[in-house]
Amino acid sequence: MKKPSQKNNVRKTGRKAPKARRDRELFAMSLPAILWYLAFCYLPLFGIFFAFKQFTPKPGESLLKNLFVNSPWAGLDNFSFLFRSSELPQILFNTLFYNLIFLVLGILIPVMLAVVLAELHSKFFSGVVQMVMLLPYFLSWVIVGYCLYGFLATDEGQVNHVLRMFGAAAVQWYQSPGYWRVILILVEIWKSAGYAMVIYLCAITAIDRTLYEGAKMDGATFWQRVRYITLPMLRPTIATIFILRTGSLLASDFGLFYQVPLDSNSLQPVTQTLDVYVYKALMTQANFSFSAAASFLQNAVGCVLLIIANAVVKKTDEDSSLM
Amino acid sequence: MDRLNQAYRMTKRIVLTALLLAVPALTGCGLRKGNDYTTLRWVTYSPSGASMDAKEVIEAANEISREKLGIEVELEFQPSDKMNLMMASGEYYDMVFTSSWLNYFDRNAEDGLYYDITDLVQEETPALYESIGKYWECAKIGGRIMGVPILKDMGAEEMFRLNADYFETRKGMEIPERMDGLESVEPFLKAYKEDYPNKYPVAMDKGGIPGFLNFLERIAGGVIVIPYDQDTPVPQAMAIWDCEPLMNRYRTLHRWYEAGYIHPDAATIDSTDADLSIPVRFGVAWKGYMGYSNPAQWGFEVKTSTYEGPFLSRQSEQGAMFGICAACTKERATECLKYIELLSTDRKFRDILAYGIEGKHFNYLENGTVLQTQAGIDRYPANLYTTGSVVNASVSSVSQEVLSDPDQWKKVFEEYETDGIYSQTKGFYYDTTRKESIITSLQAIYSDYSTELRTGTSDPDVVIPKMRKRMEAAGFNELLEDVQSQLNEWMEKAEHEETESEE
Repeated sequence: MKKPSQKNNVRKTGRKAPKARRDRELFAMSLPAILWYLAFCYLPLFGIFFAFKQFTPKPGESLLKNLFVNSPWAGLDNFSFLFRSSELPQILFNTLFYNLIFLVLGILIPVMLAVVLAELHSKFFSGVVQMVMLLPYFLSWVIVGYCLYGFLATDEGQVNHVLRMFGAAAVQWYQSPGYWRVILILVEIWKSAGYAMVIYLCAITAIDRTLYEGAKMDGATFWQRVRYITLPMLRPTIATIFILRTGSLLASDFGLFYQVPLDSNSLQPVTQTLDVYVYKALMTQANFSFSAAASFLQNAVGCVLLIIANAVVKKTDEDSSLM
Repeated sequence: MDRLNQAYRMTKRIVLTALLLAVPALTGCGLRKGNDYTTLRWVTYSPSGASMDAKEVIEAANEISREKLGIEVELEFQPSDKMNLMMASGEYYDMVFTSSWLNYFDRNAEDGLYYDITDLVQEETPALYESIGKYWECAKIGGRIMGVPILKDMGAEEMFRLNADYFETRKGMEIPERMDGLESVEPFLKAYKEDYPNKYPVAMDKGGIPGFLNFLERIAGGVIVIPYDQDTPVPQAMAIWDCEPLMNRYRTLHRWYEAGYIHPDAATIDSTDADLSIPVRFGVAWKGYMGYSNPAQWGFEVKTSTYEGPFLSRQSEQGAMFGICAACTKERATECLKYIELLSTDRKFRDILAYGIEGKHFNYLENGTVLQTQAGIDRYPANLYTTGSVVNASVSSVSQEVLSDPDQWKKVFEEYETDGIYSQTKGFYYDTTRKESIITSLQAIYSDYSTELRTGTSDPDVVIPKMRKRMEAAGFNELLEDVQSQLNEWMEKAEHEETESEE
């Protein structure tokens, strides 16, 4: 998001000051970030080797020696556990199904909310709404899971109380996978929409007010203003978020799919995503090579998807792409 | 969502980097020599880290061990993930907690992480060698001793913990000292359900009934089992679905679930400890264990009744062990053994790490047992098996009134000889090398069903065929064949050794 604008600044302002000095200052400013990336993103990259080694450490020797000298090469063996499961198509389907829905709804709903909220006249009311919507974002999944359990518990749950009140039979929610695709989507949107909305709201506030005033004077309705001013101005923000999210299409929020359904066995057909599968497979054994292989695969696919998404956006609207 | 993912990945990165930076620093750590005594780095298990007074207690123990052996310990209490990380990154330690259920002994020893103490322990610490006796067997890999078993309850005895006030006083039912099988508790469940139709008599959470699988040898995380009592001359490893006693156990649990004895959400409940009204609980302990029977804790008198066992297998005997680091010098390994020997032979010294400081954390009672003070319970809660021989520590009583038998261990070990049910394949361990990816996928499949099976939530006759289909697709039969062929090989070797020793 910030990188392209930085690049542009350099180009524009570079002419005024001597180029080398200008660059030195910018470099000094970005040094902490560069160091951070080096230490936490590039340095640990050697961990990729875990995925291709049969990691057998000897005590009292350094990690690097254990990894590179003491551990034999394993080729692609570490990946094989992922492909052994006959459920792999279902796991991949779940992962992509939820992520695509989240991708669409995760942009659509917050944008809609932001547009409506920006039109509110009462600043106080708008602030309260923002805060209330933002709150769930700060709850941990474990807590969300138990709150939901309060509603869906078989005996004491609120939903079943209401059902019984109307004479309907109680539902064993945690043993009924049919409902959970909807439940999970609702929970995810409830939790994340507020946060995403704030981003779009910021972008909307940054839009030049005179555009709206002019449109109003020309007699544009609310819908016309949204259609011809707000949405076009939001396009770069939406594109950025779209590109970033496609990068994690194979990753899934472990908390949502494991903690929220309370790891219920019956729900497995609809809750098992790649991350959940990897966790379950490796829960009882600390096999670093297998987990490295799984996460390498996820990130490699994510990287490819990100590049593709970026290329697609670039084709349609060059200004909105990242690279 | 992105943010959380990012945070998750970032933590992973931070951990890796921290490791990278910390390892060179730590490798030198244990090798430091003190003034005129050696410092041993000893890492043991504690689910919640070190207790509040741990430092003080360790120093008290060090004072004595410095004087007696010229050794002090840096004792660290680590939760299981930290221990796994430590082992996986090759950090240096001198002694470490290892077992069949945590920091897996067989695999680590097989990988050469532990010091071969076969000769050392006999030459340098004969008293220790003597005291462990026949239980050395469970620490042997290929005939070599690779660790020191901690003497504790070596077999698993499963028992009911029943509310005696309710069942005996109010209902006039008799709780015998021994019942026969899990099903024998059904009259009690039925009686309670009739009195309280809206309540659930069985204490059941997602972990299932503790020890309900102990009547089987379990391999590869429990997807393959070897029953203890088989008619065949060569023991057969078999799948869960071919093991009729196990299937029947799951059927019993499902019957209970259907009858309303088990909470409908049991498979998602973390713990039932807070609900004191539950009249039927389960436990795994040993003859004479009083820890379940404190009326002050429950608000009623608890009577225990053993329903099966004690079962003795390689797994049960490996419940707690010391592993000595393979990178130790011979001198340091000897010092580790000397220290373990002191823990196993000197009761007063042993009681310090077991219970804390006398007068502050515990007091000796007249009958020779130990009673923890409130400060002891709060500030140095005892998990005896993590800090050395349990048998050599004093037995703890529950209160001034509920006393334990100070000689209980003698009786327990006698019972193992007379009534113990021994696995036919005791001593066999399965070498998982080359089959790890199958086991890993099977684990993932198993965990899709296991919670609802062990809580009785799902019908085994419906669910297990589904699980079987998936497991067979993931290479189950290949694994089973490999287990059986290793088992046959081991049997042949064992018979060969037997005939040799007879000659």
